[in-house]
Amino acid sequence: MKLLHTTLFLISLVCSVWSSNAQDTIQISTENANKLQYGLRIGADAGKLIRSALDDEYKGFEIVGDYRLTKSWYLAGELGTEEKTTTNDYLSVTASGSYFKAGADYNMYDNWYGMDNMIYAGFRVGASTFSQTRNNYTVYNTNQYWGEQNSSYESVKFGGLSAIWVELQIGIKAEVLNNLYVGINGQLKSMISQDEPENLQNLYVPGFYKTFDSNSIGVGYGYTISYMIPLFKKDNTKKKKEEELPENTEEDTTN
Amino acid sequence: MKKLLTLLLVLPLLTTCERDDLCPDSSPTTPNMIIDFVDNNIIENSKNVFGLVVLGIDDPSVFPLNTSVPEDSNLRGVSGEDTNQIFLPLKTTEDQTHFILISEFEIDYNGTSDNLADDFFTGNQELVTINYTRNDVYVSRACGYKTIFENVATTLDEGVDGPWIFQTIPQNDNLIIEDETITHYTFSH
Repeated sequence: MKLLHTTLFLISLVCSVWSSNAQDTIQISTENANKLQYGLRIGADAGKLIRSALDDEYKGFEIVGDYRLTKSWYLAGELGTEEKTTTNDYLSVTASGSYFKAGADYNMYDNWYGMDNMIYAGFRVGASTFSQTRNNYTVYNTNQYWGEQNSSYESVKFGGLSAIWVELQIGIKAEVLNNLYVGINGQLKSMISQDEPENLQNLYVPGFYKTFDSNSIGVGYGYTISYMIPLFKKDNTKKKKEEELPENTEEDTTN
Repeated sequence: MKKLLTLLLVLPLLTTCERDDLCPDSSPTTPNMIIDFVDNNIIENSKNVFGLVVLGIDDPSVFPLNTSVPEDSNLRGVSGEDTNQIFLPLKTTEDQTHFILISEFEIDYNGTSDNLADDFFTGNQELVTINYTRNDVYVSRACGYKTIFENVATTLDEGVDGPWIFQTIPQNDNLIIEDETITHYTFSH
């Protein structure tokens, strides 16, 4: 966790360097600087792609997306698929399945005019459908009088399992090129319900990641690269009015 | 700056390697079979066996054991124990485990303590065969599976030297050997 915080902080420094570099060019360029870009931001989790390439026991892909609702609020979600084999001396289990997460992000970062970066906190509800395949196991016995213990190499699949969890996200998204964003986020999850395979346990749940025996907490991270499909721009100057009349503002702007 | 960025991106990937969880001693895993020895006259009374040696054997046809103890015999250095309880490890690879129980075990030097070739052991041998069905039960991530033993039945072979164990009494009907805090069988002698 400490490492995560440090990383986030350092990334934010890097981002702020980029931002201040970019500041010079954008600030001069246009009178639109005072407008906010609205659109659909679509991307992928690069971390999962890299891990799939490096880790023999992991395959994963995740599409991320968000859509700006207001100045600070974004609808956000992820859609992914994962296959992860968990192996130790006594057990090997492969979890395989797909998941989606939906929720919202709140941008806590006050952008300079014309800038569109995020330091955000958000929540998700996640759901996953998956199977667990027990590849092999060897009976654990503290008494080694007979030496060899019973091993099973029969692959047994437990299908049709599902899980639901809630998730908190903290992250950064920085615009590195026009409409191109890189992001990093940390995730803290809490399992709400899960189907356990018979005479086995979910060691890994796609989307939730590694489970723990002693509690229902999960953690994760993501490195995202995404592209903003620009749809329209809205004025940023009505901020004070919006605060006074939050319900009317959307009608005002759309009319 | 690029190097720093690369480092930042790669570092958390490396640290996600899961540490190996260890199976704690407090987790009940594959149990031993626990046998209490009682007095054949008064079953309620626990009674020590003197000079008890327990040998697990793969092939029951070696019973009864040849009593000679040559220099390289694995009975060399074995000494009998005075006890009223034994823990027998059951095979998790087969539905049957054989043990030879020798009471009042002693090595006789045949009057020549410098000549090991003519040594033999004395004691009463009993072949105990335990039959069961195995059931592998999931314990936890770190411990994996344990084997529990169901439909346990015990048979005795007194051999040529007569019995020293008279009755083998299971703790209850349909005995399942899982809990290592209780006695599973009582042997009277």
